[in-house]
Amino acid sequence: MLRYVIRRILMLIGIIFVISIGSFFLIHLLPGNITAVIEGPGASPENQAKLYKLLGLNRPIYEQYFVWINNILHGNLGTSFISQTSVATTIGNALPIDLEMMFLSQILAFAAAIPMAMRSARKPDGIVDRFFSAGSFTMLSVPPFIVVILLVLFVTYKLGIPHTGPSSYVSLRADWIGNLESMALPAITLALGSFVVYFRVLRSDLIATLQEEFITMARSKGISQRRIMWRHAFRPSSVALLGAAGVNIGGLLAGGFVVQYLLNIPGLGYTLITSINTDDYLLVQGIVLVVSVGVVLINFIFDFIINIVDPRISRE
Amino acid sequence: MSNTFLELEELALVEKPEKKKPLGPLFWICVGWIVLNIFGAIFANVLPLQNPLFQDYGTINAGPSLHHLFGTDDIGRDIFSRIVFGSRVSITVGFGSMVIGFGIGAPLGMLAAFRRGRFDTIVTTFMYILLAFPAIIATIAVLSFWTPRSVFKIILVIGLASVPLVYRVIRTATLSVATKDYVVAAKVQGATDRRILMKELLPNIAPIGISFLLIGVATVIALEGTLAFLGLSVVVPTPSWGNMINESRTVLQQNPWLAIFPSLALCFFLLSLNFIGDRLRSHFDVTEVKL
Amino acid sequence: MSVTPEKLLVVNDLSTTFATAGGPLPAVANVSFDLTRNETIGIVGESGSGKTVLSRTIMGLQPRTNVAVTGSVLLNGNEMVGTAESVKRGLWGTEVAMVFQDPMTSLNPVMRIGKQIDETLRVRLGMSKQDAKARAIELLELVGIPSPSQRYDAFPGQLSGGMRQRVVIAIALACSPKLLMADEPTTGLDVTIQAQILNLLDELKERLHMSVVLVTHDLGVVATRTSRIVVMYAGRIVEIGSTRDVFANHRMPYTRALLESSPKVSNASHTRLITIPGRPPNLLKLTQGCSFAPRCAYASDKCHQERPELQGADQPGHSFACWNPLPTTRGDSAS
Repeated sequence: MLRYVIRRILMLIGIIFVISIGSFFLIHLLPGNITAVIEGPGASPENQAKLYKLLGLNRPIYEQYFVWINNILHGNLGTSFISQTSVATTIGNALPIDLEMMFLSQILAFAAAIPMAMRSARKPDGIVDRFFSAGSFTMLSVPPFIVVILLVLFVTYKLGIPHTGPSSYVSLRADWIGNLESMALPAITLALGSFVVYFRVLRSDLIATLQEEFITMARSKGISQRRIMWRHAFRPSSVALLGAAGVNIGGLLAGGFVVQYLLNIPGLGYTLITSINTDDYLLVQGIVLVVSVGVVLINFIFDFIINIVDPRISRE
Repeated sequence: MSNTFLELEELALVEKPEKKKPLGPLFWICVGWIVLNIFGAIFANVLPLQNPLFQDYGTINAGPSLHHLFGTDDIGRDIFSRIVFGSRVSITVGFGSMVIGFGIGAPLGMLAAFRRGRFDTIVTTFMYILLAFPAIIATIAVLSFWTPRSVFKIILVIGLASVPLVYRVIRTATLSVATKDYVVAAKVQGATDRRILMKELLPNIAPIGISFLLIGVATVIALEGTLAFLGLSVVVPTPSWGNMINESRTVLQQNPWLAIFPSLALCFFLLSLNFIGDRLRSHFDVTEVKL
Repeated sequence: MSVTPEKLLVVNDLSTTFATAGGPLPAVANVSFDLTRNETIGIVGESGSGKTVLSRTIMGLQPRTNVAVTGSVLLNGNEMVGTAESVKRGLWGTEVAMVFQDPMTSLNPVMRIGKQIDETLRVRLGMSKQDAKARAIELLELVGIPSPSQRYDAFPGQLSGGMRQRVVIAIALACSPKLLMADEPTTGLDVTIQAQILNLLDELKERLHMSVVLVTHDLGVVATRTSRIVVMYAGRIVEIGSTRDVFANHRMPYTRALLESSPKVSNASHTRLITIPGRPPNLLKLTQGCSFAPRCAYASDKCHQERPELQGADQPGHSFACWNPLPTTRGDSAS
């Protein structure tokens, strides 16, 4: 177990290093004079000096990296030349909204996927299973940006429910009921996408697990079907589910970006898109870095949870 | 083959005895749909379609009619024609990036699994590090900096981002085949590496590869839609399914058709690809067990 | 055969047929036998002879779908065939329990072994948490697991095969069943461990006054441990009788083939083992005749056309199904 942990941590450091290199080089993809492009309309000798200090642009490239990473490790992601606000502050304000959205959507997705997968797996190819499976397969081909458009069409315009429409974001601190109402539509949209994946993964794993000998053994003890499903079948089947949840984070974030953009919810995604549209490159770079490291960290945590759930994994 | 009977009994015990699944009519309907779409994309210029860029201010936000089959958008362009032309971007990006992804990932994966040893260790470790990198975020990041955007850049970026995934799938598939008795036998008999790779391994992993390729194309097309939505795909007014849906959101209430038709086009295309991929996989998996 | 109080188990005309894509598969066909209290009976046959399916059907533990069971199984007066799972659940563990074939797969890999024993005690016997733990540790000790209170918290993966099989036995014994079904309990184990587990089963049987159905492909295993033996082939009983009769006076050529194919201590070293030619028949394509006929040296035309029914031999309780039985061995039948 200890060896496993050390290996994983080394891997994590490697990955974060690669991410930092990737993020660092992003600005070098910009066409033309980098400083002019980054500063945008606010280009001035004064701003140029600031940028040189932040990015070390006049030094050799490897030194530039150290200047840059040193700034970041001190929490300095620079100040946007477009909006004149600190990149770190902007990200700090937006991030909790993404976290809340992801949290709500994952709760919804698991709450729906687990009981439905159990119901399906009990009688594979039964009527219920066929219905759920066909439905989830179809859903697999509907990307979140279509789901959200259809939901908006349906909920806001057909049912006429006002609160869920665009540009109605209410912050959690101001009014938590209002906040939940404004979060309902984005959370449901994201939950649908995750639910489909979780349902399918858990269903097929449960079916495989239910054919294992230890399930027959559990049956022979004379314990109830419900207990067999929850105590014996669910845990060994949930490894792939957790794996899927970990892998899903990236897609979930991208889906979240779209949903935020469409519903005007000022999370990271909304901020990212507006900064792309206003050519606010320092902010884009900061968001990319924070989000990538976040995803990798979440994956790392999921790996550990999987290990606790199934002790076989770290032993091999 | 020596204990067919035992296998039969085990088969019976596992509740779900399955024979090789037939592909079924739905499979061929999906294939037909994909072919039709590709045909439309290739010959959009010569088909009797209206100009997808022509703005008919006389009929704005019109519903479906005989003249405009799917209606018109907010500046009077024909939606049907735009969907057909829009499929060009989606299909090109979808297949193009998978060509790059497979062109690099598949040979590497096969070689690594076949050679094993240090080559395998190094490439696999490297790929797993890349794999942990959230590919979608990386794609968004690169495309937002690498301006001006073009279909070619989009294909290149998505294609490269898919390499580690393709590598993993192909390597795993090759590994499972490479340890089979007939491959070992071929090795022992002194067959050249090239021969084993081409004659023994390739035909056996091709079905898995093809099914993964189709599902990959579907994923990429959905991703292109997302990028278009974020304003990171091709520049308007070139139609693509994604930016048509994106444009529709401002006039959602007045003209829901503008959202619904491209969404349907996109979803049916993805559904067909996913269905074909899934069917092929289950079809060939069973054959593999029978071997 | 009528129900008599001393019969713990009465199996009558039991058939188990699986619905498969290739058609109905008769895994067990027309099996009848019984078992008295404190008796050990052996069920032997090659892999695929239906003995595992038979033992599961007796317990009522067959898969829930795609299977048809006919006939009757009376377990301590309770009918197991056609009974709802909820009713059978009340009998499993307390009336009958099973020791599974492969301890590598029959324990839940992600559950501590203590919890797997506790579960039965708490759910079935309604014990409190502390009592169940104490009893579980006792059970672990009973089946000969060293330092049981530490092993209580182990995962199956941390134990050897032999230890795991002891845990499986402890689970089976948790609710003091009257009948223990042991389905090839030693197949997955090292040879040196096999004897230990079998002796343990023997000892526990005496101590706890159980009856045992011992399923195996190895006649050597049942020779000294059973009072009677059922020989199965292609889902049917082909010979049944006291252990002595089956060993010394078998009439069915298949039984002899089985005996000759199992190693004996009395043989000189390097004695060649005789293998049975051919392989067991495909149960989806059974012919009308004796299923063993294609592999039998004594088969006549009749054997290929008509299936022999079980018929009584000289000794009471000894029957065989064969048109061309082996001659009785002189002397033995008189004793």
